[in-house]
Amino acid sequence: MTDRHTPEKDSAEFAAEAGSLWRITFAPATWAGHFLLCYTLFATGCAKGWPVGTVRHGLIGMSVLALAVIALIGWRAYAQWSPRSTGRIVNPRGDAEDRHHFLGHAGFLLAVISFIGVVFVTLPLLLLEGCR
Amino acid sequence: MTAMSRDPVTIGRGGPSRAIFAVFLLCTTLSACGDRQSTLNVAGEDAAAIATLFWVMLAGAVVLWLGMNGLFFYLSRVAPGAFPDRLVRPLLIGGGIVLPTVILATLLVWSLTMLPDQRAPDDGLRVKVTGEQWWWRVEYWPKGAEAPVVTANEIRLPVGSRTGFELDAHKVIHSFWIPALGGKMDMFPGRTTYVSLRPEKTGTFRGQCAEFCGASHAWMAFETVVLPPDDFEAWLAAEARDATPPEGDAARRGAALFAAEGCGACHTVRGTEAVGQVGPDLTHVGSRLTLGAGRIGATLDDFAAWVEHTGALKPEVKMPAYDHLSDGQLADLAAYLKGLE
Repeated sequence: MTDRHTPEKDSAEFAAEAGSLWRITFAPATWAGHFLLCYTLFATGCAKGWPVGTVRHGLIGMSVLALAVIALIGWRAYAQWSPRSTGRIVNPRGDAEDRHHFLGHAGFLLAVISFIGVVFVTLPLLLLEGCR
Repeated sequence: MTAMSRDPVTIGRGGPSRAIFAVFLLCTTLSACGDRQSTLNVAGEDAAAIATLFWVMLAGAVVLWLGMNGLFFYLSRVAPGAFPDRLVRPLLIGGGIVLPTVILATLLVWSLTMLPDQRAPDDGLRVKVTGEQWWWRVEYWPKGAEAPVVTANEIRLPVGSRTGFELDAHKVIHSFWIPALGGKMDMFPGRTTYVSLRPEKTGTFRGQCAEFCGASHAWMAFETVVLPPDDFEAWLAAEARDATPPEGDAARRGAALFAAEGCGACHTVRGTEAVGQVGPDLTHVGSRLTLGAGRIGATLDDFAAWVEHTGALKPEVKMPAYDHLSDGQLADLAAYLKGLE
């Protein structure tokens, strides 16, 4: 810890990154929401006798939307990480700038895994057509 | 299975040679299951697809295992020093993210495309199977039939055509599985599930309940007999007939005893006054290969043993043990039931 770090200064820097901390949860939250929507809506539709085709196509549309949202979140996180412009992939220093880039890095990786998760949950919608 | 192989502590104390012997013993025991109840003993189109998936996954797992251990060996013994980032990073991203994603996605797409085939429509025969505790109620619905041919605890199928199974359950969840013919399908009370099977070999294969359903779950099995189409048609026509009247004095005494003991309150023997629906239909029980849903064989002695020791053979079964009957009475009852062919 150097003299540059005072509790007051740290608090101000952490407050500045509060938005980034929230943003890194958005992609996994979209994945979780998509997962929940797919399973509950399809199961309810099958149990209640709703038209399966409509439910399926609606959920495929929701999947495309979820992928677009995650891609956007990932793109913004990548821009925050900015490994190309800074030339640094990892950000091990405990200063404000590194913290900002690091949260972008974490957000980007979470967006990647969320994207893959949504694709995996969508595959049964594409390949299995009925309720059975 | 010996007491020694059940006790891992004993194996450990016995040293490596005893452990190897125990594993060998286990393997030889398992090989006994190979003929009639193995997903690798492929006897149907659907089992073939599952076996192919299994072998591909096994081969892939072996390659991965060798690759990972080879890498560990290389990094720990051959080149234990630090590696430059430009080598490590592509290896981590490629091997840790891209490769598993591609492999899992490929396997997922492959297995998902297999699922509809396992539920393909039937070629004319539909069998309704209801899981009971702990036996199988079976109804054959050939194309155009207005009433089913009812039987229990044994399934016969024609080779070379696809049979559809409508599955249901009474009270608790069961699972319908004939490993040599195809995949398993759960059976739920109040909900009908569907699976279809297309056997490609004639023979007798063992089916087993694959979802824990109570005390005698392990004893809830059945025989599946795959027949040439003509033989199947002949069998189904015979199965649809009423029961054969008892022949011989012993069988006639057995029939009277069957009525006097109230067996007909739970069992149906078509063509007689026995119309009970609680237990398995016994109209042609004498032609079945097993008793008590695969519990024991179907000799005269087995019939007598089942009636006398029902609860001991199948814990918590609803049917009471008729152990008050004399040996002679049991023999008569067995003669009657065995004669119901």
